[in-house]
Amino acid sequence: MRTLKIAVVASMFALAGTASAANPDAGKEKSKPCAACHGADGNSAAADFPRLAGQHYDYLVKAMKDYKSGARKNAVMSPQVANLDQRDFEDLAAYYSKQQGLVTRKNSYLVH
Amino acid sequence: MLVVMKRLSYNCALPGIRLLPLFNMKTPNVLAAACAFAFASAAFAAEQPAGNADRGRDKSSMCVGCHNIPGYKTAFPSVYSVPKLDGQHAAYVVSALRAYKSGERKHPSMRAIAASLSDQDMADLAAFYAAAPAQQASR
Repeated sequence: MRTLKIAVVASMFALAGTASAANPDAGKEKSKPCAACHGADGNSAAADFPRLAGQHYDYLVKAMKDYKSGARKNAVMSPQVANLDQRDFEDLAAYYSKQQGLVTRKNSYLVH
Repeated sequence: MLVVMKRLSYNCALPGIRLLPLFNMKTPNVLAAACAFAFASAAFAAEQPAGNADRGRDKSSMCVGCHNIPGYKTAFPSVYSVPKLDGQHAAYVVSALRAYKSGERKHPSMRAIAASLSDQDMADLAAFYAAAPAQQASR
């Protein structure tokens, strides 16, 4: 009985562990509807749509959550995220944040 | 004018494709609204001043303390990484700054900073950040 309890608790931890790890491969699959505007790898071709490739993971998650909650309003993005959940946000963010794209120039204003 | 027309048709086509499956019943209305919006934004974009990346660099002193420190995070109102701007499209940077200035997009420090910027400042800053070449994937 004790062994069974341990096994149950251990499997719960295992499940929780897999549920919380963002999966960039799953994100790539989920990103197909996003590609029309943001580009296949998040490097959008049209300047009106932000480049997502290389963006910070946690910023991307926050942006999508804000679109879903209505804290950030955009006529195109709101319906796109309406049916996505936290796991989708994390997978998408994991995918885009791992692509080559945006960078951070250190002390860029000093470079002439 | 040709540029505006091309831009218009592009903007009309894209939201139409995106929204079709979502708003089957309302497709004509949505398309009309999308095109009206695209026309308005195209006309609006034509009024935007041209950005100068060098002047943008000189104006970026209030941006770099957050946006040009690798891995820097906000502390208020919540903790998350400050978005990377180097390599971002100029048009998107301008639209984000305008949304902060109008209050449509909310962030206390960004609102205060954007409120102090003219259209020319925004165009220059956007040109400065867009001038950084985004790292391209091997393709």
